[in-house]
Amino acid sequence: MARAELSPLDLPHDAEPDPDELVRAAMRWHFTPATGSPFWLRRAASLEFDPLTDVKGYDDLTLFPNVANELRDVPAADLVPRGYGEHPDIVGVFESGGTTGAPKRVVCPRDWLDKLVDWSNANLDVHGFPRGADWLGITPSGPHIVGEIFRRSAVTHGRYGFQVDLDPRWVKRLIAEGRGAQANAYAEHVVDQAAHILRTQPIGVMTVTPPLLERIAQREDLVELVNEKVRAIRWGGTQMDADTEQLYRTDIFPDTVLYGHYGSTMILGIAGQRHGTPLGEPCVFDTFSPYITFQVVDPHSGAPVAYGRRGQVVMHHVSKALLLPNNLERDTAIRVAAPDGRIGDSAAGIAPVERFEDEAVIEGVY
Amino acid sequence: MGTAPQEDSNPQVPVLDALGPSGAYRTHNRQQILDVTGAPLAEMSLAPALFVNRTMKALRGAAPLPAPERAAALARAGELFRTATLGGFSPQEYEQAVTRVSGLPVNVVRTATRTCAERVGQSYRSVLFARPDGAVSDWRDPLARTGQALWTRRGEVLAVHVPGNHPGTHGFWPEALALGYRVAVRPSAREPFTAHRLVLALREAGFGDGQVALLPSGHEAADAILRGADLAYGGDEIIRQYADDPGVLSLRPGRSKILLTAGTDWREHLDMIVDSVVRHGGTGCVNATAVLLEGDPAPLAGAVAERLAALPSLPPSDEKACLPVQSAKSARALETYVLERARGTRAWLGGTGFVDELGDGSAVLRAAVHQLDAADAPQLGAEMPFPCVWIAPWTRADGIAPLRDTLVLTAVTEDEALIDALVAEPTISNLHIGSHATHWHRPGLPHDGHLGEFLMRSKTLVRV
Repeated sequence: MARAELSPLDLPHDAEPDPDELVRAAMRWHFTPATGSPFWLRRAASLEFDPLTDVKGYDDLTLFPNVANELRDVPAADLVPRGYGEHPDIVGVFESGGTTGAPKRVVCPRDWLDKLVDWSNANLDVHGFPRGADWLGITPSGPHIVGEIFRRSAVTHGRYGFQVDLDPRWVKRLIAEGRGAQANAYAEHVVDQAAHILRTQPIGVMTVTPPLLERIAQREDLVELVNEKVRAIRWGGTQMDADTEQLYRTDIFPDTVLYGHYGSTMILGIAGQRHGTPLGEPCVFDTFSPYITFQVVDPHSGAPVAYGRRGQVVMHHVSKALLLPNNLERDTAIRVAAPDGRIGDSAAGIAPVERFEDEAVIEGVY
Repeated sequence: MGTAPQEDSNPQVPVLDALGPSGAYRTHNRQQILDVTGAPLAEMSLAPALFVNRTMKALRGAAPLPAPERAAALARAGELFRTATLGGFSPQEYEQAVTRVSGLPVNVVRTATRTCAERVGQSYRSVLFARPDGAVSDWRDPLARTGQALWTRRGEVLAVHVPGNHPGTHGFWPEALALGYRVAVRPSAREPFTAHRLVLALREAGFGDGQVALLPSGHEAADAILRGADLAYGGDEIIRQYADDPGVLSLRPGRSKILLTAGTDWREHLDMIVDSVVRHGGTGCVNATAVLLEGDPAPLAGAVAERLAALPSLPPSDEKACLPVQSAKSARALETYVLERARGTRAWLGGTGFVDELGDGSAVLRAAVHQLDAADAPQLGAEMPFPCVWIAPWTRADGIAPLRDTLVLTAVTEDEALIDALVAEPTISNLHIGSHATHWHRPGLPHDGHLGEFLMRSKTLVRV
């Protein structure tokens, strides 16, 4: 490891390493006994190829099976590459939403979070987020990575981070059990707490989920407060359709920057909204390529769909911190060309995978 | 029906916009409206929940028009609905569009236009039939000086989730405007043209943008319409979900029926029976779903089948069309369902299928006639969106149990004790005695109770 400082795995966020070199370096890191994680070193035995020799570049990532389901049970310590040493600097263990069963877990080392937040902060500058502002985060504080990204963003790009906690799993459960009134009361409780912070603190940046932003927009006093104080809103967690975004930009928060995130704990990060999307067009999300990449594919054949067509989103994460290729997400998206020189796809018009709907006959003419 | 959210808009077809507090609102998210052959006929803007919530708030913030203006505007709206070019559609173009997407025969659609216009035009008058005799509508009424019941709204904003089975269903909800409600209408994705035309007519007639709104919407935003209103009325999937809520008036299947007791000769009433089954294309809740006969039902079933078998299979736009048309796919799904449902019955017509494909992707739903063994057969209330009638024997021992849960019951009988029991039965909504078709109706008469009974209450008022 004498030349580790030159590895494509250790470059700063804006270095733009060659994707194939990055993948080869990642294979060496994750599948060499001295540096790889116990999980991957064990898993390598049951792979039908040799990652060290058969994976020659980015395109070969598709050789890997989707191991995301295995991350529901594996001990978290087994996911940490040994190359981080005896006392790795770990920011936290993070969990997926748990919508499709037990939560999946990933471990986030500090070097990765720093690199991700540096990249994200540069995006915020492009979108016109004011530096040094106080941030209000209406997002889960944990166990999802969004809370950690919020805190790091607030203290590096802004000044202080004020948080309101949010438990999306409880909300999903209330809704699934038909207890809509309780879900509603919980959401109002969250907004009440955010309102208190908005009233008393000089909040300049707000991070929030689209459903909660809709609730804020229904309270005239909060709309006024946001318009008076908040210069930029970062939204994420669920989707915002183009018509809703347009209403915010033209009618409700006309002087506030609106910037979307599309992320997943399983990629240890986020994709950011492309700057300059015309009003009314679905926002395009660009990834932190080549570390985090998307491919928009036909779910049956696995082949990429044509640009402009809808397909299912496959996510790859390739970094020193984590190797998680070929993770088929529940979301569909329209395939958009990535920015010049970037590998993978960008994604627009994110939507959940459609449920199959049979032609049902309902008795009665209504 | 063939409707699907789509990403690429089609510049060739008209767009039906949402109609919000500041006029027409066109969205990027649209639903394609396909005709029965699968050809795109229009696109419908789908308002997001954020827009719905803001519209509901604006409706709540608007003051109702004074009563005389409401009466005048409703009269004008009925006339505009019947005669004006609205949203780029002349009356004929509107009727063509409804015919093409609903598959209802064009003559049925024309009749519905006239009926709907008449109902809307008279709704200020008709709604007053629901007012208790002892109540007045205005606190300034001199009777209030000595204490009087005052008829008042139960809320301010009504959500209307219209069913798409027949354009005639739109004739009733404007009564809410007559009462001073502000109204948000969610059109049916199956047939949104009538709701769009009616809201445009009402706005042009004098109800401002803040009084009545059109909110075409997907599931989530449609839910927001209901939640943003004080009361809701209609018959879509959202209403069904909240049907038990006392603030929701859910339109239920009609399961309309005809009963002929011994001593009546069914041959004298055959025209009325066939007409009850097939008028309006047989798609209404007021069409007869079942006929019960005290006596052997076989000859009656045979005669009804013979009459219905003679009806031609024609595309809905044909002047002579009288049977409904759907996309071949949904017609086949319905056929499979009905054949399965009819298992164990005696088929007189349509027993091996009733779908007649027209070769352009659409299919005629020809009539089906089945004879049941007994009045308590489970098929008796199986209401279908085409002329599909179940004919069963009825005996005194059956009593009124098989006649329950009926929107309109035509009872051809002179048995006053039986009539007493039918009048008293709370689940029979309307009773026609003698040879009146099940679809008989006049403005001012209740359809399933007066809408005013749901929208209004009486409170005591006394002044010094």
